[in-house]
Amino acid sequence: MATASGAMKVAAHDAPMTSEEKKVIFASSLGTVFEWYDFYLYGSLAVFIGKQFFAALDPTAQFIASLLAFAAGFIVRPFGALVFGRLGDMIGRKYTFLVTILIMGLSTFIVGILPSYASIGVAAPIILVGLRILQGLALGGEYGGAATYVAEHAPHGKRGAYTAWIQTTATLGLMLSLMVILGTRTFLGDVAFGDWGWRVPFIVSILLLAISVWIRLSMNESPAFKKMKEEGKVSKAPLSESFGQWKNLKIVLLALFGLVMGQGVVWYTGQFYALFFLANVLKVDSATANIMVAVSLIIGTPFFVVFGTLSDKIGRKPIILAGMLLAVLTYFPLFKALTGAANPELAKAQVTAQISVKADPGTCSFQGSPIAREVDFLSGCDIAKRALTQSSASYENVAAPAGTPTTIKVGDKELTPPTATTTAGGHKFDDASAKAIAAFKKDLAEALKAAGYPPKAKPIEFMGGQWWSVVGILTILVIYVTMVYGPIAAMLVELFPTRIRYTSMSLPYHIGNGWFGGLLPSVTFAMVAANGNMYYGLWYPIVIAAVCFVIGLLFVRETKDVDIYARD
Amino acid sequence: MWKLLVAFIVFAAVALFVLKKSGGNVDMGGEKHDVTGGHSEAAASAPAAPASVPASAPVAASAASN
Repeated sequence: MATASGAMKVAAHDAPMTSEEKKVIFASSLGTVFEWYDFYLYGSLAVFIGKQFFAALDPTAQFIASLLAFAAGFIVRPFGALVFGRLGDMIGRKYTFLVTILIMGLSTFIVGILPSYASIGVAAPIILVGLRILQGLALGGEYGGAATYVAEHAPHGKRGAYTAWIQTTATLGLMLSLMVILGTRTFLGDVAFGDWGWRVPFIVSILLLAISVWIRLSMNESPAFKKMKEEGKVSKAPLSESFGQWKNLKIVLLALFGLVMGQGVVWYTGQFYALFFLANVLKVDSATANIMVAVSLIIGTPFFVVFGTLSDKIGRKPIILAGMLLAVLTYFPLFKALTGAANPELAKAQVTAQISVKADPGTCSFQGSPIAREVDFLSGCDIAKRALTQSSASYENVAAPAGTPTTIKVGDKELTPPTATTTAGGHKFDDASAKAIAAFKKDLAEALKAAGYPPKAKPIEFMGGQWWSVVGILTILVIYVTMVYGPIAAMLVELFPTRIRYTSMSLPYHIGNGWFGGLLPSVTFAMVAANGNMYYGLWYPIVIAAVCFVIGLLFVRETKDVDIYARD
Repeated sequence: MWKLLVAFIVFAAVALFVLKKSGGNVDMGGEKHDVTGGHSEAAASAPAAPASVPASAPVAASAASN
């Protein structure tokens, strides 16, 4: 029996992908492309959506809407993982991820046809936020379903290779959204696009939805779930089985803290923080930065499949942990190299110009709230540090006695940042403060320029030596992403038994990526503002990845040889 | 496999062409929570963008999901 099973495994390992398996991967991946398409659409078109739906609201309502939009990403998504994970484990993978894609697709489409604030008043932003929440909910169920579905169709020994295709969809979704957005904008012109053309990419999503639903409807239920259902072994309470029993909860926690948490920060740093750093810290022209990041993503994308396939041979754990370890060891030198390559003048100024902020520490607040507003920072210390951080200037902190006003020294020049006050309600700086802040920022910009800080990076010649140096460094960062992300779907699937797999893998995935990855911009900004060194924020992904590496190394078991049916 | 590779290369080339041709000025920073699109002072602004960032590419508190 054992020999026969071994022979079957070898045979499955060597057999080429069947057309049914190809269809499974295609159908699942297409839905995930759609998820990414929607994700990028909303981010890229936020400025137009803001104008049409929120600009006329009073500041309090805008703030509440921001909180709700934030909640859609950080709270509703893990909640969606629980809701749809539970459904997926009770009624089946196929129907559940059909529902998630329908909710996602219809919500996206409705955004495209939703009347603006000018037409239906306050109902417009309320409906829009409601749609965002629905999307967050669907998003929480989509990935776990796609990964579980593909993995349960994959032959033993090929789960890494098969599920890796789902991981490539992030780049495909990005490219697709760029093509549709930029194609529409170029075709219609900027005025018409800003007026109504921004709706087209949302409306186009209905086509993607139709194709995805049509293909998914023609698919069969996962064989593992079907078998379990036929044997009457389907879980009646996946939530309590997943999180109420220590035996399984322990694995959920290990998946989160020993795998996904590190993967989330490495992924976010490699793609989004690298772009933010390039455009906003190194002041590279944003169009050039976008193109360089897009090229590095394209070069890196095949590595998802490479590392997924390799994980079937040498194991998931060594590749994922190696990606985290490389990130921990090389983020500082890589980001410093990125500065040297993209903005050498800034690198030089960082070394030569001496800047210090002398302030009473009691007046300097923590600036890491992801929902903080500019008007939440009123002290001279906060205003000074925000301005310096936004100018990419590294500075030294000098503690001053209590009650001393904050001063900044840039070389020999000394500046005193204003202390601001707000209008009634606290939503706006008063006129005098706004003027004083603007004047201070102007003086600071001049002082920084005199000290050698370039206001912008010099233009980078397309496909020149400097261009390729930057793309090379960005590609290394993307390859780390492919190492941690390529094999992770297979590993998460293999950690849990079929009866609670969808629920158990979805929650740590969305918490790890949504919380640990999603908080990265706010946390890194606060760390840089507090410390003064523009690389200091890198400690956040480094510490998270290092902790995750140690937990993963010591407590998470290798899963590539696990028989996912053994515990059914 | 080679068909997929060719399809990917063609797809990527078209995307890059469109990106280059249109000036590449689009926000690729992921999901936004700043519902005003960066127009309001009251907007979420923790990792706020400096003045050099074009209007079409506001960077506000953002979070990714994958």
